[in-house]
Amino acid sequence: MTGYSPFAIPLVHSAVDIMTPFLLAGIGGLFTELAGMLNIALEGLILTGAFFSIVCAAATGSLFLGMLLGILCSMALAWLFGAVTLYLRANVFITGLATNLFASGFTVVLAFQLFKTKGVIQFPGIPRLPALVVPAFLQKVPVVGDVLFGHNVIVYVTWAIVLLSAIVIYRTPFGLRLRGTGLNAATIVTLGLNPRRYQMAGILISGLTCGLAGAMLTMELGAFVPEISSGRGWIALVAIYLGNKTPWGIFIASFVFGLAESVSNYAQGAVKVPVDFILALPYVFTVIAMIVYSIFRHARSSRS
Amino acid sequence: MKERRNLGELFTGFTGLALTLLLSFGLVIVLIFLLSGTPVRTLYFFFVGAFTNSYYLGNMLNVAVPLVFTGLGISVAFKAAVFNLGGEGQIYAGGCAATAVCLALPAANGFLGGLSALAGAAVLSGAIAGLSGFLRMKWNTDEMISSFLLSAAVVLAVNYFITGPLGDPKNNLLSTLAIGPQYGLSGIFPPSKLNISAFFALAAALLMFFFIYKSHAGYEMRMCGLNREFSRYGGINVSKYFVLPMIISGALHGLGGGLMVLGTYRATIEGFSFGMGWNGIAVALIAKNNPLGVIPAAFLFAYLDAGAKAAMINSDVTFEIAAIAQSFIFYLVTARALYAFTRIRSRA
Repeated sequence: MTGYSPFAIPLVHSAVDIMTPFLLAGIGGLFTELAGMLNIALEGLILTGAFFSIVCAAATGSLFLGMLLGILCSMALAWLFGAVTLYLRANVFITGLATNLFASGFTVVLAFQLFKTKGVIQFPGIPRLPALVVPAFLQKVPVVGDVLFGHNVIVYVTWAIVLLSAIVIYRTPFGLRLRGTGLNAATIVTLGLNPRRYQMAGILISGLTCGLAGAMLTMELGAFVPEISSGRGWIALVAIYLGNKTPWGIFIASFVFGLAESVSNYAQGAVKVPVDFILALPYVFTVIAMIVYSIFRHARSSRS
Repeated sequence: MKERRNLGELFTGFTGLALTLLLSFGLVIVLIFLLSGTPVRTLYFFFVGAFTNSYYLGNMLNVAVPLVFTGLGISVAFKAAVFNLGGEGQIYAGGCAATAVCLALPAANGFLGGLSALAGAAVLSGAIAGLSGFLRMKWNTDEMISSFLLSAAVVLAVNYFITGPLGDPKNNLLSTLAIGPQYGLSGIFPPSKLNISAFFALAAALLMFFFIYKSHAGYEMRMCGLNREFSRYGGINVSKYFVLPMIISGALHGLGGGLMVLGTYRATIEGFSFGMGWNGIAVALIAKNNPLGVIPAAFLFAYLDAGAKAAMINSDVTFEIAAIAQSFIFYLVTARALYAFTRIRSRA
C-alpha cells in the first residue's frame, strides 16, 4: 500500500478485493434467481470451490489448473443440486441446505483423509495469485490508479464476468428465455423449449462463479480454513435482492458490503473490539441492509 | 377411486422415505469402503456400535432429546408456512442464556433456578426468532434469510460470551464456568448422560401435537400455512401467524439448548450444539411436520450421530461422515419423484 495515500484509498482498495467473492456468487446466483429458483446453495458451492481449487493447485503445481478443477468440482456439486431439485422434483430450499451441509461435511472428511487434520491446511508451495500488470502511467493516476489497479487477476476476470453477464442476460436469446423461465415457465413450454434446461443452466453458471469465488478465497490466503466461505453465499443472496436482480445493482450492493467489511477490518486495528463482534458485523450489516430495503419497498408498494 | 389414491399416496410416502434412507445408508457404506482402511470394522461400529453397551445407547438417546426440540420448533414454523433457518443460533443462544441465569443465581434452589434458566433460554431464543417473524409481518422481509443471518451473528456473539464475560480462565476447553451442582438434571440411565430431559422432550412433543391439531390457535395457524389469503378472508388475523410460530419455534430451540446445558454439559462449551439446528429441519421433514413423528425421526438422526461417533472412536474415519449421510437424507427427503415413483412409472 502506498504510504502517501489518504486513509480512504486503502480502505476502498481492500473493499474492491473483499467484494469480489460476493460479486461472483451474486452474479451466479442471479442466473438461478432469474430462472425462478432461490439458490441458497451458493455458500456450499463457494466452499467446494475453495477447497478443491487449492488442493488441486497444490497437486498439479499450477494455479490455473487448480482453479479450473476447483470450478469443475463446484459445478459438479451444482449439477447434483440441480438434478435432485429439477429431475427428482425436490424442494429447492431443502436441497440448497443439503448442498451446504454436504459441502461442509465432505470438505472436512476429505481434508482428514488427505491431510489428517480437520483444521487449517497450509500450502506454502502455492505461488501468489498474480496481480494484473498495468503500464506505470496508469498506475500513477491519482485515486483511480490506487483503487482500480494492483488487484489480483480474479478481480478483473470478475469484472469481465459482470459485463458478460449483463450482455448475456439482456442481449441474447438465451438470456431472454432464462428470464422468461422465471417469469412464466409455461411460456417457455409453449415455445417448444424445456424450462428445466434453463434452470439447470442457471445453476451450473452459479457453480462456475461460486467456484471462482472460492478459489480466490483460498488462493489469496495460501491455505484452506474449514468453513472459509463463512456466510459469503448468504450475503451474496441478499446482494441479489438489494441489487434489484440486475448485474450492476449486484455490483453496487457487493461494493457496499465490501466497504463495510473493509471498514470493520480497519476498525479492528484502531479500536479494541472483541474479534467475535467484528466477525459478526457483516451479518448484522446485511440484516440491516435487508430491513432498510424491505421498508423502502414496502413504502413504495403501499403508495402505489 | 379417491380412496384408492389416498391409500396409494400413503404407501408411496412410506416407500419413498424407505428409499431415501436406504440410498443414504447405502452411500455411507460406499463412503466407508472408500475412506476406511478397515471397512468391515468401521461398518460394524457405524451400524451396531450404538447398541453394544449401555453407555453408547444412553448417549444416543440423549442426543435425540435436543433433536426432538429443534424438530418440533421447525415443524411448528413449517405448519404455518414460515421458514426458520436460524435454529443453529437459537439453540446455541438458549444454552448460553440458561448458563448465564444459573451463573447469576449461584445459590438458588435447584428447581426454581433451573426453571428460570429454562425460561431465560426460551425467552431469549423466542425473541431472536420472533424478530424475524416480526420483520416479515411488518415489512415483508424474507424471514428465511433474516433468521439465518441473525443466527450466524448470534453464534458469534455467544462465542464472545463463552471466551469473555462467562469464560472459565482455568479451563483449556473453550467453555463457560460450570453451573452450580444443584442445577444438574438427574441421570436415568447411568453411566450414560441420558437424563430426565428425555421426559421433557416427550411432554413437549405431546403438547405441540395438541397445540397444532387440537387448539384454536393451532387451527388458525395451520389454515394460514395452507393458504394465507383464504385465511384472511375467513377472518383470521393472519399477520399474527407470522410472529407466533416463529416465537414458539425459537422458544423450543432455546429449551433444547438450555436442557443440553442443564442435563449434559453443565456449561456452554464452544460449538456444543452445532448441527442440531440443521438436523432439526431434516427431522421435521422426515416427520412430515407431525409432532409425534418427530420423536422417531429424532431417534434416526441420533442413531446416525452415535454410529459416526462409535466409528470414529473405534476405527479410522472422521465423525463428519454423519454429516454426509445427513445431507443425503436432506437431498432426497423432499424428492417428490422418489416418493411417487410408482405413479410416474404407471403414467409413463
